[in-house]
Amino acid sequence: MRHITEQASVIENEYVRGWKGEGRKVVGFACIATPVEVIEAAGLLPYRLTALGNPSTEIADAYLSRFNCGFCRSLLQLGLDGTYDFLDGLIETNGCDHLRGMFENWQYVKPSPFFHYLKVPHITTDDALDYFRVEVRLFKEAVEKHFGVEIKDDDLWRAIENQDEVRERLRKVFAMREGGNPAFTGAETLSILLFSSVVPAEASIELIDRAIEERKDHQPPDFRARLMLCGSASDEVDLISEIEGVGGLIVTDALCYGTRAFWKVEKESDDPVVALADMYLKELLCPRMFDDYPRRRDYVLSAVERAAVDGVIVMHNKFCDVHGVDNVHLRMDLERHGIPVLQLEKEYGAKADFGRIRTRVQAFLEKIGDRRKVGDRA
Amino acid sequence: MKTSAPVGLFDRVSSMLEIIDRLPDDMSDEELEGVLGMLPADVRQSMGAIFAPRVRKTSITFMKMIAGWLLGARRARLEGKKIIIVPFNFPPELIHAFDTMYPITSEILSTLGVMGLEGQGERYWDMAMGLGLPDHMCSSNTIELGSILGSEDFKPNAIISAAPGGCDVNAKIHEFVSHYLDIPQFILEKPVDDSVRGREQYSKYYRKLVADLEDFAGEELTEAKLRRVAEKANECTELCLELWDLHKAVPCPVPNIFSLFTYGVRFAMWGTDEAVGTLQEMVDLSKKRLEEKAYPAEKEVARCVWAYTSYYFDVPNFFNWMEENGFTHLGDGLDFFFPQYVDTSSRDTIIEGMAESAWNMPMTRQVGGESMSVSWMEDVIYACRELGANCAIFCGHHSCKQTWSVASILRTELMKRTGIPMLVLQGDAWIKRMTPMSVVQDEINEFIRNVVTRKRRGRGRGVRTTGEA
Repeated sequence: MRHITEQASVIENEYVRGWKGEGRKVVGFACIATPVEVIEAAGLLPYRLTALGNPSTEIADAYLSRFNCGFCRSLLQLGLDGTYDFLDGLIETNGCDHLRGMFENWQYVKPSPFFHYLKVPHITTDDALDYFRVEVRLFKEAVEKHFGVEIKDDDLWRAIENQDEVRERLRKVFAMREGGNPAFTGAETLSILLFSSVVPAEASIELIDRAIEERKDHQPPDFRARLMLCGSASDEVDLISEIEGVGGLIVTDALCYGTRAFWKVEKESDDPVVALADMYLKELLCPRMFDDYPRRRDYVLSAVERAAVDGVIVMHNKFCDVHGVDNVHLRMDLERHGIPVLQLEKEYGAKADFGRIRTRVQAFLEKIGDRRKVGDRA
Repeated sequence: MKTSAPVGLFDRVSSMLEIIDRLPDDMSDEELEGVLGMLPADVRQSMGAIFAPRVRKTSITFMKMIAGWLLGARRARLEGKKIIIVPFNFPPELIHAFDTMYPITSEILSTLGVMGLEGQGERYWDMAMGLGLPDHMCSSNTIELGSILGSEDFKPNAIISAAPGGCDVNAKIHEFVSHYLDIPQFILEKPVDDSVRGREQYSKYYRKLVADLEDFAGEELTEAKLRRVAEKANECTELCLELWDLHKAVPCPVPNIFSLFTYGVRFAMWGTDEAVGTLQEMVDLSKKRLEEKAYPAEKEVARCVWAYTSYYFDVPNFFNWMEENGFTHLGDGLDFFFPQYVDTSSRDTIIEGMAESAWNMPMTRQVGGESMSVSWMEDVIYACRELGANCAIFCGHHSCKQTWSVASILRTELMKRTGIPMLVLQGDAWIKRMTPMSVVQDEINEFIRNVVTRKRRGRGRGVRTTGEA
């Protein structure tokens, strides 16, 4: 577990260095709508961009504005200051307006040797699915052309199986985390997720298996309440540690870097490209899907039930539109179901914000404690 | 019978417009003063500016068109028609083609509330905030939608969202309103794809929307119904293009406030007789001013293209102040809808033409493009060159994260390719609480005096400037 935590806390981890040392290429992406299997099938390392709570944005602020979310500004900062110079390519998706702006500015200032824009519909009608299938095919062709490789169906199926194996392990970690005796803290789980998105699938499988074995009979730390965390893209392990430090153990989540990235996988076609396109678009549990709120709500409600959650924190980065609004919806629906909920807006990467957040969480835990005493939980 | 003062934005604005609807087509200063004297201070200020003598007759025509549109919604409700909330980037002529549905445009209502209500619609913004919605929502629609969500107001039967692809924050509030009010949401997605495939995909989405709306209305959109609005839309296009060309003259004969009027027509009544009549008057007045070489200031000091929105919470101190100081407002990003003629030969060609119009609506066309910066930049550069601008101004509407995220690219490229400087402001275009108009004025003044006019005195890079046309 310690090795995972260490490797998940640096951008250019030892697996990336080893991979590059062998003369192999790394391709960065930011959004969970990116079918990483295409990158992997081409013999490349798919690397999910993270900012790891980086608070500096002085270079990025010359391009993006202070009205853009801090996460995207931090990513841009790392793109422009050379931290991500090890990348051999970038995949843009229209995950949100801020992310689009981040990629546009990155490309404008410091073009990547390979850049492809994967356009992801915001709806899941038949027309939209047809469109996205072609998009995934074009993505595959662009990778083939630039890197001079042919991606055969068998290669894609193998990559799909590899990623399925990673997802299976992540589901197991979640099962151990959500159970009566949580085997992983929220901070540890986020580290595992971050790790799995920036190293080769084989390394993920091996290391997560080891962590699972290590934590078989693990006793969780003392805690005051079992919490669920929902909201914006957040790779801030420290922030979760802060919440857990005051007794709110995060036992499940609906985060972009969390369950939403791997929860459900269904393949319904013999054509790997079609299978990938359908799987990624139909299962995209993201508030950028503008006709899909009921599914997101139901997912959260079922996780609350499954993980016996005492309260839910819905959090968004300042200026994040899609989560900012969705969280209001979620708060209303959770309250309607009698589930305590704390709605938080935060500045990404701002350690100065931690004190305020700790206070809010402490107050929330007291509220939950009071509720548990009077036994009025729905 | 229970009577009470209306509390919702729609009801309050339509009550005010009932009064305007009864005004004579032309009024003397004394008559206008009498009417304004009955109005609360905020309203008096806006209306006084809109009805400035130099534009009064056309302004009355415009306001009557808006009154007719809004009062028409009330009538439509009484007649059992379905009221559809549409966003500004959705061409309303499609809904006007139905006999059983009626469009109301949220951004127009917000703007009317800001311009024409005591308190400027801020209470409705606060209602939205009271629900917990983030303070970085877009006030352009959240003011109106806040009223629908938080007060006893006129409620729509459905909402159309044409924001997916172009603007997340708008798309999210549309989704929220749909769930909160439990009304259907019809989505018109804009693929962020400028290729032929992207355009064809948009047509598929548009055609599906038409079919879904027909189902919802229980009414078939026949060729005759579509042709009725398409022919009127073509007349609007003709007049709009004429108005665009008139902007090229130096000094500009088109009053600043006509920028707002142009998209007011586009977003509410395009494809109707009233729209044609209003645009005709706008063209006629501009032509008359061209002949007379009339201009509100002693000389035209600067010709400004506003890269995205303008400011709407203080009409006299924005549109009027600019032109009285010789700063011509050549139009803003919301005027960049570049109308085209619709082929009316068949139902199919009309629908395709309407889809093309929708594709070219502001925001959809620019930041909804494959690249947020490139499409927007091309339009701003085109407008600056075509209209002989010597400066651009980005109003910096807080909520507009997609334009904010590429504004620096626009500023750099605009300067690199045309030598035209762009001022970047910060504020909320619909809410005066954020940046006071005096600050906006100061910044514009400084920019024009120190950057624009200095460039004109010899530092420019061959850009056509006022007086050199």
